[in-house]
Amino acid sequence: MAARNSASENNGWVDVRRGLVSRDIFVSDEIFQLEMERIFDRTWIFLAHETEIPAAGDFVVRSLGSAPVIVVRDGDGTVHVLLNSCRHRGAKVCRPDSGNVRNFVCPYHGWTYERSGRLMTTTFDRHIPKDFDFSEHGLVHVPRVEVHKGLIFGSWNADVVTLNEYLGEIAWYIDPFLSRSPQGMEVLAPPHRWRARTNWKVGALNFVGDSQHILTTHVGPLTLDPVRAARAGFATAAENSFQVVTDQGHGCTLTYLAPGLTEEAYQTHAPDLEPLYSKILQGDQRQLLNRLRVIVGTIFPNLSFIETQVGPAQKAVIVRQWRPISGTEMEILSWVLAEKEASADYKSTVLRNGFHNFGAAGVFEQDDLELWASATYASNNAIAKQFPYSFHTALPYIDAPEKDHKWPGRAFKPADTEVAQLEFMRYWDRCMKAAHNP
Amino acid sequence: MSEQEPAAVDGALYVEIQRFLFREAALLDRREYEAWLALTTEDIQYCVTAAVSRDAGANPVHYSIIDETLVGLKSRIDQISNPKLTRAENPPSMTRRVVSNIEAFHTKLPSEFSATSYLLAYRSRPSAPEGGFYVAERQDLLRKSGSDWRLARRSVRLDHLMLFDGALSTLL
Repeated sequence: MAARNSASENNGWVDVRRGLVSRDIFVSDEIFQLEMERIFDRTWIFLAHETEIPAAGDFVVRSLGSAPVIVVRDGDGTVHVLLNSCRHRGAKVCRPDSGNVRNFVCPYHGWTYERSGRLMTTTFDRHIPKDFDFSEHGLVHVPRVEVHKGLIFGSWNADVVTLNEYLGEIAWYIDPFLSRSPQGMEVLAPPHRWRARTNWKVGALNFVGDSQHILTTHVGPLTLDPVRAARAGFATAAENSFQVVTDQGHGCTLTYLAPGLTEEAYQTHAPDLEPLYSKILQGDQRQLLNRLRVIVGTIFPNLSFIETQVGPAQKAVIVRQWRPISGTEMEILSWVLAEKEASADYKSTVLRNGFHNFGAAGVFEQDDLELWASATYASNNAIAKQFPYSFHTALPYIDAPEKDHKWPGRAFKPADTEVAQLEFMRYWDRCMKAAHNP
Repeated sequence: MSEQEPAAVDGALYVEIQRFLFREAALLDRREYEAWLALTTEDIQYCVTAAVSRDAGANPVHYSIIDETLVGLKSRIDQISNPKLTRAENPPSMTRRVVSNIEAFHTKLPSEFSATSYLLAYRSRPSAPEGGFYVAERQDLLRKSGSDWRLARRSVRLDHLMLFDGALSTLL
């Protein structure tokens, strides 16, 4: 067997010391398969937001790793996550993207399951052997399902650590965007969905902390919005902007308004919603939102989020999933969230302006996607693969986290280096080594 | 009493509407965006939706991926029409819009007409050179003043559950 390029060899994909990352891992289908086994079938993966399935029987169909799953709310409020494949002959028991069900009836031969997945009847029970155990032929249950601030996660790994442990210190940074008012956040519409000809990690890296692409990739929207451009320029240089890296490969980048910019001119959050934040968030966590221009981050492996200004006193929280399809293709799902307490007008404005920027036709998104596809195309050949990607701007900083950082995680300044990205790759590499079990 | 069926437009007026739809499609294909924008009204509403797959008996769900008034539409056009301000449209996509199945109706206002059309919009771009099709039904509201026709409202209902090849960077 040829060993040199064998994915299982795990031979020098990520060289943190030299700031180099193999191109192969961004294009290879073989490595993609290994990622499915070693990352996506082992760790916690985001599935849905609770407000997508508010009522008993509501369901959405999603993926957990490469397996199709149903996320359904039962009569008692419990969320079940079930493999969307009949135990009889494999047909999808649930074929629409979303809806409401009492039971799942397989359209092929009629096996019928409760929302909990329990097999009720095969419709030919009279021919079933007496020792057939119905309780062992229910829809396959995702063994671990937990919810964090409205985000439903699942894991195929029964032994995975708790979701709380898994999120660890990053929770402190994401909670002010997922739960900051007494009623919490809600998704405002079904997710945008589009396919992109690039590897899922390209999106994850872009969101974990790629400040360097903003002024080049997004020259259009920044030029056309002079206020935003001024802010981007000022804020990137601002002393109090930083990247955060936590355990399990999570990270985020927080960009604050420079001290020279007045609050009034650059009003960030909605004045009628801000007072609600103090009811939920205390101390430093409340402080985190003050004068925040944008936060963007990635929960390892493929869940990202951004809170960004989409108008005067309008902040859209966008939750984003990079669903791997192959080494060179992914599906992107993107939700816009707002506080439940917000007015209907505010919600529709934030939704509209949110996807104007980030979504299937977003003015930021369109340029990202074209360039990501070009990187994937140009890297997917034997010549290019001899030349690893550069993460060099992480190197002068990666061993020097801020000593006086008083918030969780390790913080790095300035905010426009590649530290968070290289740390993401370091953790990815660790997961890909067979022994690691998150 | 039930609403009266809208009266179909025919004859010379129908041809005018058809000509308008063909003309604005050609302007977009030639990327003459300023000329295209001049064919819209100040109060233009421009919306593109995609669909969620649902059971046949359940309410259909369409969600917006573009929802603009003139300001947003202008800013999209300012971005994709300026080679210095766009990565997605420089080099530009090759596009070809085929507009067919046009039905036009009178409305309550003598100066306004509704038009339904089917759209097949082919797009080929450097990252996806073999190209693909956006398929949609469009519902337009057209306003006529003398011989001058303008687009006042466009709702593009894409027949897509998932868009292909990255983000949509063109108008439909």
